Amino acid sequence: MEDLIVRYVSRIVVPFVQLFGLYVVFHGHLSPGGGFSGGAIIGASMILYALSFNLAAGTKKVSHDLSLILESSGGLIYAGVGLAAIFLGANFLGNKVAGIPLGTPGNLFSSGTIMIITLGVGIKVASTMITLFYSLIEGEQKTDEHC
Amino acid sequence: MSAAHHLPALAIVVPLVIAYLMPLFDRWRRGWCTPAALAALGFSFAASLVMAWQVMTHGPFSYQMGNWPPPWGIELYIDYLAVFTALTMTGVSLIVLVYGSRDLLHELKPHLLGWYYTLYLLLIASMVGMALTNDIFNLFVFVEICAIAACGIISIKESRECLEAAFKYLVLSALGSGCLLLAIALLYMVTGHLNFTFIAQALPEAMRLYPNNILAALALLLVGMGVKSALFPLHVWLPDAHSSAPSPSSAVLSGLVIKIYAVALLRILYQVFPDSIFEVTPVLTILLVMSSLAIIVGSMFAVVQEDIKKMLAYSSIAQIGYVFLGFSLMEISALTGGILHMFNHAMMKAMLFLAAGAFIYGTGVRRLSDLKGIGLTMPVPAAAFTIGALAMVGIPLTNGFISKWFLVLGALRGGQTFFAVVILISSLLNGFYYLPIIVNAYFGEPQGAVAEPKRLPRLMQAPLVILGFGCLLFGIFPSLIIGLASRAGQALLGM
Amino acid sequence: MNIAEILLRLHQNSYYFFAIILFVIGFHTMLTHNNLIKKVIGMNIMDTAIFLFFVSIGYIRGGRAPILEPGADHLYVNPLPSALILTGIVVAVSITAYALSLIVKLYQHYGTIDAEEIIRLRGGETS
Repeated sequence: MEDLIVRYVSRIVVPFVQLFGLYVVFHGHLSPGGGFSGGAIIGASMILYALSFNLAAGTKKVSHDLSLILESSGGLIYAGVGLAAIFLGANFLGNKVAGIPLGTPGNLFSSGTIMIITLGVGIKVASTMITLFYSLIEGEQKTDEHC
Repeated sequence: MSAAHHLPALAIVVPLVIAYLMPLFDRWRRGWCTPAALAALGFSFAASLVMAWQVMTHGPFSYQMGNWPPPWGIELYIDYLAVFTALTMTGVSLIVLVYGSRDLLHELKPHLLGWYYTLYLLLIASMVGMALTNDIFNLFVFVEICAIAACGIISIKESRECLEAAFKYLVLSALGSGCLLLAIALLYMVTGHLNFTFIAQALPEAMRLYPNNILAALALLLVGMGVKSALFPLHVWLPDAHSSAPSPSSAVLSGLVIKIYAVALLRILYQVFPDSIFEVTPVLTILLVMSSLAIIVGSMFAVVQEDIKKMLAYSSIAQIGYVFLGFSLMEISALTGGILHMFNHAMMKAMLFLAAGAFIYGTGVRRLSDLKGIGLTMPVPAAAFTIGALAMVGIPLTNGFISKWFLVLGALRGGQTFFAVVILISSLLNGFYYLPIIVNAYFGEPQGAVAEPKRLPRLMQAPLVILGFGCLLFGIFPSLIIGLASRAGQALLGM
Repeated sequence: MNIAEILLRLHQNSYYFFAIILFVIGFHTMLTHNNLIKKVIGMNIMDTAIFLFFVSIGYIRGGRAPILEPGADHLYVNPLPSALILTGIVVAVSITAYALSLIVKLYQHYGTIDAEEIIRLRGGETS
């Protein structure tokens, strides 16, 4: 696709979409939103970028290895937070009981581990969205070669 | 409290963590994949063993995620049935994985092995989760993980049959999940709880006020779980899916995956729904009829199959019928038999599928009539197949005999002679299609590829030997496991 | 029960009513259409119907989004069904993605996405 307008508009829009996605992820414990919605927004921004330029440009920004690492680390952050609670003497995924300070409700840094978990979920969802898109597109391209 | 206190959560989380690490290992440290997967399952198995010991000595206990007491938090409840199921799942899957670590090298492209382990570990973790959880929505989440992972380990081979079978399985199991979620919605609507214990407390009152909701939920639950566990009229996806998958996948899918849904249904039927539901609706009668049909029709379909794995797949339909028959006779011996059969069949069917996989590995032959003389050229898998087949028929000294004995006993004690006859007829049919294979294997003249098979690696022989030994062990000393199974049955019946 | 009463009841339970209609539409599409993509669409309609049903359980007429403000005392809708359904949506997304990638692969192998056609091709292959 070689559309100048689409390229310029997407180049302007993508950073703002990503910023909004980050906002949704980081305010998951304060307002509607959270890891899944924010991650989906960030992932969609990368999909938009890859669509309006091409796949090669997209993979240049987020390579396969990077999305692989991000995908694994997202899940590992979640599990790691859960296991950390066990080391602190509480049950799996314990929050306040594990002695983690909760902060003042309404502040950005509050609610203990929930924000870290949301961040992990956000990373996971965003990278999964990107990986899904890449793999579907690549499968499609292989089909075209076959025919 | 010590680390042992956290075992229920760790038994689920450790395989999950390793599953997430597996793609990284696959990319940068391929040699670590197999040991890590084995270690994760080994840990789960050890954790299940310790939990079983804890339950046997101190009685059932519960684990609250994040220290949130129910009804707010997710609760894992570790009782007899839960540890029994968790032991079956982790033990058999560990043995199958040992076999698979070798067999998969020739069935899959090498760069897919790490991803296969990811799916496999997710599958096992979700099944352990389903066995332990006491929260209906958590159950749903595990059901979904299990469904996707199960389809994944079929379609990973990327042959035409696998893809088509996986798609069929995916669509039908998505349908089952949809029904399950709607059932959960209906139950939540009338009770306002998601925890099994609390739903059970609220249901008798809700039953009086909104009987239709609960009946609809029950029907949806039966259909959803029935599709997933391939109960007779809903089994259409099973033969293709289980016969086209790589052999270790078939062993796990046929031996374990269809059983875990039966256990979940059993748990919900007996622990969540009030006893009065059995008087209002003939749900147990429906299950009895369906399972009897499954037993007879599954065996009859198996008789006419030409392909060895397809025959085993149809035989699974019959065997899941036994499990459901035991669950729905409402009698302690039958229930014990059903629970025991779950374990026994997991061992037998895993062994049979692995033996079939070994035949295919060695000779490339799948047609039953071409397997003449295989007993002379591939003695270990043929011996394992023979033990498995005898156990399927229910010959004494094998574990299949024990569970069938309990089932027949339960049917007779419950005054349902008809179902005892069904079991006997089906045993006859089992003999009808298993025995000719054995006779053929030992007394036929080996021809073609069968005469000169590839040598079977040790790592593929050892699991067959262990499983065969296990089948005989639990057939000769059944008391090792009956105690746990009958305690589970008593707890379910409220005795 | 006369017509007016039935209509009133339907109006009161309109979310449930339409959710069930959607569910049946999705169910029907999923089972009867031969086109694999249409099957996936049917699956999604069915899932959406269940999500609608589940979320409407927690809805209270006049309730607000359950964000606690200090000092204010409002009527809030039940947040639990929405939280659960978020999980359900994630699952539906992943199943859809997986099904679509399977369809891509099936198309590579068979050159068609019609279920009947695929069965016909397979039958010709094995016999």
